[in-house]
Amino acid sequence: MSDIGKVRLRVPSSIKAGDVVRVRCLVIHPMERIERDKAGKIIDKKYRYIDKVTVTYLGKTVVSFDTTQNISENPFFAFTFRATDPGKLAVTFHDTHGATYEGTADIAFG
Amino acid sequence: MAEVQGLTRRAMLGTLGAVGVAAATAVTLAPRAATAQALGQNESVDAALKRVFGSRAMKDGSGMIKLDIPLIAENGAVVPVSVEVNAPMTPQGYVKHIYVIADKNRIPIVTRAVLTPESGQAYVGANIRLGETGDVRAIVEQSDGTLLQVKREVKVTVGGCGG
Repeated sequence: MSDIGKVRLRVPSSIKAGDVVRVRCLVIHPMERIERDKAGKIIDKKYRYIDKVTVTYLGKTVVSFDTTQNISENPFFAFTFRATDPGKLAVTFHDTHGATYEGTADIAFG
Repeated sequence: MAEVQGLTRRAMLGTLGAVGVAAATAVTLAPRAATAQALGQNESVDAALKRVFGSRAMKDGSGMIKLDIPLIAENGAVVPVSVEVNAPMTPQGYVKHIYVIADKNRIPIVTRAVLTPESGQAYVGANIRLGETGDVRAIVEQSDGTLLQVKREVKVTVGGCGG
């Protein structure tokens, strides 16, 4: 459990200016699923899962995901962005308990 | 003090409910908490589609959308899915939203990706859960409001939604 919030971000090793880059990212998170009691009724509690993912590049939002509990445990997301300038790519995960986890990658042209 | 708090809270909840109804019908973006909550509701897929898209016409997008998902998912807890749309991404016209919807899940709407022209290409991928065998659809909303849909049946050997 102590690993919650570890973010891994994968960008291709060589990027040229103007390329459309595919990025893969993963976060360690339990993504609690809905629990039911014996009668099949949903147990009412505040489930802890990621409900928002935002990707920013050079401070501007490029892609965002609104997610529900249907996303698997330790969520994986893939997306693309157009690399125009060297700078920072940041992926931020928000969960329903108010925690945020961030992973960053420096985009540089080789 | 407690009474005052109770009153305001009740009033607040009433207003929030009204806002929620308004947000469901309006196309405008509601605040983050409201959208996230409204997105994942326990309902049938028809109700979900009606709630999100209203009665807008949905075209067949099989020529444009590539929905990549295994035909047989041995483990419903982790099913890789990716959606790629063959459409230009320019400020004049781009893919605005990509929805992934699992028909047989108790909460049918899995995720909504919000794209911008800076995305460069309309491509998203994620690992999702599937409760049982059923259709998985990808619905694409373009910036001019056009809706395109593709769906594919996925056989699930072991369900992954629990409960």
